[in-house]
Amino acid sequence: MEGVVNSDIIIIILATGIRLATPYLLAALGEMFVQRSGVYNLGVEGIMMMGAFAGFYATLQLGSPLLGIVISLVIGALMGLLMALVSVTFKAEQGISGIGLYMFGWGLSGLLFRLYVGGITSVEGLKAIKIPFLSNIPFFGPVLFDHNGLVYTAFLLVPLTGFILFKTSWGLNVRAVGNKPEAADTLGVSVVRIRYQCLIVGGMLAALAGAFLTIGQANMYADNITAGRGFIAIALVYFGRWSPWGILLGSLLFSLADSFQSMVQVLGINFPYELAVILPYMVTIIALAISYGRVWAPAALGKPFQRGTRG
Amino acid sequence: MAENIEHLEMCGITKRFPGVLSNNNVNLQIKTGEVLAILGENGAGKTTLMNILYGLYQPDAGKILINGKPVNINSPREAIALGIGMVHQHFMLVPTLTVCENVILGLSKSFLVDLKTATQRIKEITATYGLAINPDAYVWQLSVGEQQRVEIIKALYRGANLLILDEPTAVLTPQESNELIELLRNMSAQGNSIILISHKLHEVMALSDRVTVLRDGEVCADVLTRETSQEALAQLMVGREMAACQRGGTFSPGKTVLEFQDVYAQGDKETEALAGVSLTIREGEILGIAGVSGNGQKELAEVIAGLRKVTEGKLYLNGKESTKMSPAWIIQQGLGYIPEDRLHVGTIPSFSIWENLILKDHHLAPYAKHLLLQNQVIMSHSSSLVEKYGVKTPNLETPTGKLSGGNIQRVILAREITRSPVALVAAYPTRGLDIGATEYLHSKLLEARSQGIGVLLISEDLEELLSICDNIAVLYEGRVMQVMPVEEANERILGLLMAGIAEEAS
Amino acid sequence: MKKRILALLLAALTLLTLSGCGTKPTAQSAPAPEAPKVEKIRIALVLPATVDDLAWGQSMVEGLKAVQKTMGADKVEVAISEKLGNAVDAGSAIRQYATQGYDIILAHGSQYQSVLTEITKDFPKTTFAYGTGFATQPNVFAYDPQAQEGGYLLGMLAAMTTKSGIVGIVGPVESGDAVKYNYGVQQGVLKGKADVKTRTAYTGSFNDIVGAGNLAKTQMSAGADILTGSSQQAVGALRAVAETKDKYWLSTDMDQSSIAPDHVLAAQVYNWEKVVTKIIELRKKGTLGGQVLTLGFADGTIDLKYNAKLADKIPAAAKAAVEQAKQDIISGKLKVELPKK
Repeated sequence: MEGVVNSDIIIIILATGIRLATPYLLAALGEMFVQRSGVYNLGVEGIMMMGAFAGFYATLQLGSPLLGIVISLVIGALMGLLMALVSVTFKAEQGISGIGLYMFGWGLSGLLFRLYVGGITSVEGLKAIKIPFLSNIPFFGPVLFDHNGLVYTAFLLVPLTGFILFKTSWGLNVRAVGNKPEAADTLGVSVVRIRYQCLIVGGMLAALAGAFLTIGQANMYADNITAGRGFIAIALVYFGRWSPWGILLGSLLFSLADSFQSMVQVLGINFPYELAVILPYMVTIIALAISYGRVWAPAALGKPFQRGTRG
Repeated sequence: MAENIEHLEMCGITKRFPGVLSNNNVNLQIKTGEVLAILGENGAGKTTLMNILYGLYQPDAGKILINGKPVNINSPREAIALGIGMVHQHFMLVPTLTVCENVILGLSKSFLVDLKTATQRIKEITATYGLAINPDAYVWQLSVGEQQRVEIIKALYRGANLLILDEPTAVLTPQESNELIELLRNMSAQGNSIILISHKLHEVMALSDRVTVLRDGEVCADVLTRETSQEALAQLMVGREMAACQRGGTFSPGKTVLEFQDVYAQGDKETEALAGVSLTIREGEILGIAGVSGNGQKELAEVIAGLRKVTEGKLYLNGKESTKMSPAWIIQQGLGYIPEDRLHVGTIPSFSIWENLILKDHHLAPYAKHLLLQNQVIMSHSSSLVEKYGVKTPNLETPTGKLSGGNIQRVILAREITRSPVALVAAYPTRGLDIGATEYLHSKLLEARSQGIGVLLISEDLEELLSICDNIAVLYEGRVMQVMPVEEANERILGLLMAGIAEEAS
Repeated sequence: MKKRILALLLAALTLLTLSGCGTKPTAQSAPAPEAPKVEKIRIALVLPATVDDLAWGQSMVEGLKAVQKTMGADKVEVAISEKLGNAVDAGSAIRQYATQGYDIILAHGSQYQSVLTEITKDFPKTTFAYGTGFATQPNVFAYDPQAQEGGYLLGMLAAMTTKSGIVGIVGPVESGDAVKYNYGVQQGVLKGKADVKTRTAYTGSFNDIVGAGNLAKTQMSAGADILTGSSQQAVGALRAVAETKDKYWLSTDMDQSSIAPDHVLAAQVYNWEKVVTKIIELRKKGTLGGQVLTLGFADGTIDLKYNAKLADKIPAAAKAAVEQAKQDIISGKLKVELPKK
């Protein structure tokens, strides 16, 4: 640990952890709406790849990461719409259609990259925005208030999505549709419409998570850039018990463990690297295993809604 | 809100489902303040008719008139707008939401949910009709009777003045039923119309002003309640004369075949479902278990069958301890089991009838020899059972899941009784069956009794228990409240015990 | 029923898009069916990652292009299948190429060794080659880049150039080529300047460029100012280095300065053209396989390239020492050890 003060190391670990948590948080909060409405979308990874490519390509062509974000949101909405069409309107088995969407997103993003970009190219991504005054606070400043806009967005979305889910009429409808769609239907809440809306919102947030990877972190695009993060986000939705705060906890736990293990490796602390690399997964699984209690999975999760089924 | 429904008429309603003519030219009318009962066996088309009125289905022919004007009801939303409310047999409530949230679901059009105003209005409604309910409670915390009240509040909150209730008392204790009947009377007196779907004759007689009887999708009678009788309605409903099942012969129990000694077990949610149950069932005895469902009946049955772990206490089957034994051992020792979920636990729905008939003995002679199934033996055995037990099926290869509830129950009965068990556990065997099928099942249980089999009958139908049991035990919150000879029991005593009130039951 | 058809449609669509970019036989030959006299060599390349990964895969692709250029596009036909990280898919692609009569099939990944053994016996007249590897068969060449040699030189360079005294390695998975390269770097750093530290960390993945970028950021924030790393994810780390002003990258497999001209100091470059040309010549002489082709500085199949733009960032003494060491490696005076298993 030569030349580096301990508190600096802690700041680096925490700040990195917060940065790493961002894509999980964005994608998982989106998937939370989707699952709360009774659909599980395993295609998050594919939507992320499409969002990652769209954000990257728009930034490359238009020179503005902000426009990159806008375009990736549009693409995410379209991917969500596709999933809704397949799984809600045509009632295809959700697991299979999600995997299909994942492979579709992977294939299409790779193809578009090859056709329109060709080789590895870097872009000018989002810049860190130091929050005035707050970023000067010792310790907390560099940890919390020296990130790019998408990081702040992701963390602000936690209370916002919580508010939407539990305080608004739409949130009430979402919770009802995911738990007892027949009841919502008899009361004039359109199950189909709510599920479409949730899948579109979920798609947008997943695409945003992907865009964060290309224009908020790597500042470049490569095939399979998400490297499984979408699936981790899905797991974090379960970990977080379908609640924004739970998802925040899971994302931070996983990402801080990841950031911590990187630092352990970098500092050359004698620790087998194989164990270090799986540390985030282990921590998360252990936390899941020891946190028990009543689990409120949306009761209608995974079940296509069909009005008037007899018997 | 729409004008009050003074008069509603359904004319010539016809509804066809693939292979079934569910409603055929049905006419029905109701006026304000009236309680109309729609009576019929399962499959007679009652629920279909009401789902049409509520906009869940569209009729193939016919029309609906409100106050003389024809209306189209394309969705529940339109039905609600017209002032029609429905309380489904299976409650349409979201368990993870509060009472208030459930009530305003679908009504809240503002961005934020205004729970305060809604709570206020709910309190007004509950005060008007004397419905006690806490608007902030979560629905999963409520008893079945309370949940039903939430359903009624939901309809009233939406301005319904015609209320459809589908089999409202099926899930209630007798006391809760009485309260409901009181409530409905009160509501009709205040100018609401009520349509009651039922196959329970006594509640139809107690509550309704007029009865429309459906049989095979057609109206076979429309009579004033005060001008008819229970027997007459039963005949109309079934289309033939009924012979009520009664215990025959004297009660002469033999040795104990099934014994519980202070048994404890956990429920699915890791709560204590059985808390020290002690019971004995003897040869030639039918012991009834009364109780509101969810008080440990399911666990009781599963514990005997070896499907659920006993955490404390001992079980004896035919004199041998069976506490920790496997289901296979228990089956070999002679336990017959008619499970609550007859389709998925009692049979394998995609298996053919003959496969389900030999499910428990397929590996034994004479059905199997040298690891091979003996098709000839199996087929002749199966077809004789199908004939003897009157299973209505095109052939032996028909998947069991395609049969009606009554016929599936016959297949299970045939399998369980022909294995000549020493004890037979039947959990809610007549639930959802019509009168004819119920009567048949009762006769078979009594036959088993006369053959010396010890029968444990779990039921929520007190009439059933009182008519065929020798002794009745009441289960409340996992404890046996009391075991009494049937001669000492009546609906009132049992109802009080089912509600956990013990002291005055004497 | 409808659902099933729909799911199938979606699957088919997916397969289309996947195969659209996956198996792209980039036949870069001039269409010369009317010139049968010209004897044409047909080469197929199977890649685990992409043709443009700025690393292992792309270096081979460029080697093949160079071969085509030297021998004439009408003499050499090249077909490439990429993204075949899954050995089973790769196996079927290899078999397909063999069936189509390709003369030389390059399975460009150590993970293809076991797949090849099942296929090569069925096509005794076809030449197969794979690497990194050692095991050969009569019609299978194995090639083995001495990654540690360049690693050693780059390590020396890093040690004598770093200002913070910390060299950071962003590794993929601790195995095979990465271990060889990293070990070389570590030896080189020690040789270059004894008190400079090498910090080695792995992402646990070959293709997580975001993860590599984050690991590089952690390395830099903990003090490293010269970084290096192998595999196709390395560009992610390089991109993170390129965000800074005073930190530099050393690349391996190929020169990565195209993406970050101001940050890549030097590169270990594989000269696949020579390797492939050698395979072609051996085949012409009737040797279809059976040899291990070692890539090293001695025969020029590995070279060290400096970034001219950043020449002033490297102290003259460092460059001189590295050049001396390079000559010693070529002459055999210096042997870079490999980690003992």
